[in-house]
Amino acid sequence: MSDHISGPRAIADPVIDITDVYAFPCPESPRHLVLIMNVFPYAGPSALFSDAVIYRLRVRPVSIAPDGRTFAVAADESIFDFTFSGSQPVQEGRCALPNGDVVTFRTSEESGGSGRAVQVFAGQRSDPFFIDGPMTERTIATRQVAFKEVGSDRLYGKNVLGIVLRIEWATLLKGGPMFAVVAETLSAGKRAVRLERVGRPEIKNISLSAKMFDTVNRDLEIRDIYNEEDAFNLSKHYAGAYRARLNANLAFYDGLDDKVDWPFDNHGNHPLTELLLADFLVVDASKPFSETSYFEIEQAMLEGRTHATCGGRWLNQDLVDFLLTLYVNAGKGPRIRDGVDAPIVWSSKVFPYMAPPNRREAAQS
Amino acid sequence: MIDERPLTDGTIALLNLDAQIDALEPEVRRGRASVETRAGLAELISLRGLIVGRIADYDRAEEIAEHLVRDAPMDASSLRARARTRAGFHRFNDALADVDRAERLSLDTETANGERAAIFQALGRYDESYVLRDEAAKRQGSFENLAALVGLHAERGEIEAAEHQYEQSCCRYRGVSPFPVALLDFQLGLMWMNAGQLNDARRLFEAAWRRVPLYAQAQGHLAEVEAELGEVDCAISRLRSLAASSDDPDYAAQLARILEDVGHEDESRRWRRLAASRYDELIASHPEAFADHAAEFWLAAGGDPDKALRLAKMNAEVRNTSHARSLLARAVAAKA
Repeated sequence: MSDHISGPRAIADPVIDITDVYAFPCPESPRHLVLIMNVFPYAGPSALFSDAVIYRLRVRPVSIAPDGRTFAVAADESIFDFTFSGSQPVQEGRCALPNGDVVTFRTSEESGGSGRAVQVFAGQRSDPFFIDGPMTERTIATRQVAFKEVGSDRLYGKNVLGIVLRIEWATLLKGGPMFAVVAETLSAGKRAVRLERVGRPEIKNISLSAKMFDTVNRDLEIRDIYNEEDAFNLSKHYAGAYRARLNANLAFYDGLDDKVDWPFDNHGNHPLTELLLADFLVVDASKPFSETSYFEIEQAMLEGRTHATCGGRWLNQDLVDFLLTLYVNAGKGPRIRDGVDAPIVWSSKVFPYMAPPNRREAAQS
Repeated sequence: MIDERPLTDGTIALLNLDAQIDALEPEVRRGRASVETRAGLAELISLRGLIVGRIADYDRAEEIAEHLVRDAPMDASSLRARARTRAGFHRFNDALADVDRAERLSLDTETANGERAAIFQALGRYDESYVLRDEAAKRQGSFENLAALVGLHAERGEIEAAEHQYEQSCCRYRGVSPFPVALLDFQLGLMWMNAGQLNDARRLFEAAWRRVPLYAQAQGHLAEVEAELGEVDCAISRLRSLAASSDDPDYAAQLARILEDVGHEDESRRWRRLAASRYDELIASHPEAFADHAAEFWLAAGGDPDKALRLAKMNAEVRNTSHARSLLARAVAAKA
């Protein structure tokens, strides 16, 4: 489920559990870039942000490395830190910008808060992700594609706590127009400790969580270790473990149609492994908004062509169908559908983009 | 040490626990939730019951777990969930049988032993519990494994070891939820209270209460310590609010006893009546779980030594802890 419930620590405390990250050029204004991080899967009506957590969006300029197969991430970083008061039910929010400015706002106010070149929102919204979770799990357990024509959306009618940041990218970010984006939750205090981090969707769950195909670390619950890593500077200690797990699981998906569409390279790696380990969203702010452009930049790299879209990730792309098709047949075969093609409600093209929270009856219907 | 670290405000944490439960409960009631979701919901509801002192929550968790085993009897997660709710209601042998079955199905030995260690501890089989808990802590020195050792040492009155492990476990805590830390403070507070060191007990109960203001047991024990230290008004005020809001009769019983001690007979009688009828209800539905507390009540404010002796005997049969033996001895003495 994208990054919902992605490891023991996240399960123990959903207030730190990042469910998704999105990055897209603003549909109504190309000068702006929109970054969104959602937390708290299955948020009931009383859910609130923690007053002990920093909700962080990290952005770095990125380019395609000379080898054409990997990203070169610049060291310059722009950090947007969101923190919240302990008041309830309305919380006072604070967004610290990379230029030192601070934008204050109150949670769940539709217009959010604004400052020079920035607009922010935080509050409960409809979860824009959709997936037939049980059939995804069954596919892994039975090693056979288990989806039905009409699936059952595990997230139907569910809500999350959303944080939306709309920025004039040329003013607030360094470099560009291509950026790498990561979301993190950190414990506040003198020494911030990283609790979770998310870049790409479905890395920790669909791609990393299954243990049985991994002959190197069959018993290792790898996700909390992975969560603690700096996405822009992966430590060497566990890189081999991540690589082994991804290679094993990606090979499993590739074999679901009894064909090899992703032959391993000379180093014994799946061609997607290194790109996925670069676990950040890559968005090109100079390209127009697109609803279905996740991973197009990476696919262009694999095909040796110039990318045509903004990449990044829009709220309602049918990510599960896209990923499964990519993993199973490299997009060369029939589309692999999980039978769930839309969220309960579409997101909006205007701020704050995410649909209002579902009422309890919606979840029950 | 843990005070240097930021934790989520206790009221927000409890609202978020409610939010998790509220989101999952409709799915479970509609019968469309997975085994993991149902087991997870039982766990969350039990945690809320533990924090706010709500017996209705334990009942609901037990119901979910029983239905889970009925619907998925060959799933280890179902049996593990039921083992936990059964242990919560002091049905220790049934709980151990569930853990054994879960392990035979697919529950890994490490997890099964963690469940067994908790049950052995509740049964007063401290040595067996220690072997398992110590082994787990040596294998992985996580907060959870070290905190479990704190509880065991504290219950055995091993003050130095408990304090040492408390420091160690605090160092390992990486989360921001205040619940695990408040529960740890509470266990250490109980240890000091049992050792007669009331000021230390108060410090720990206050810490637990500050972290989670609606933590009922922490408040209840804080009131007990306050009463012992002569701060009776404070204790009464704390207990009035607890006794009025909780469906656990312990607070009404405690309040009745303190009010009687200070000569407030009428109000004491009211709370005593309420506690007596609630204990009778609970003994009818969950005899093993409430025998000890009900026996304490009938020995003190309840004023019925016959009933107290019968329940103290039942409790000593369920678990052979030093507290159970001491309760039985007091009940026998009261009868004589």
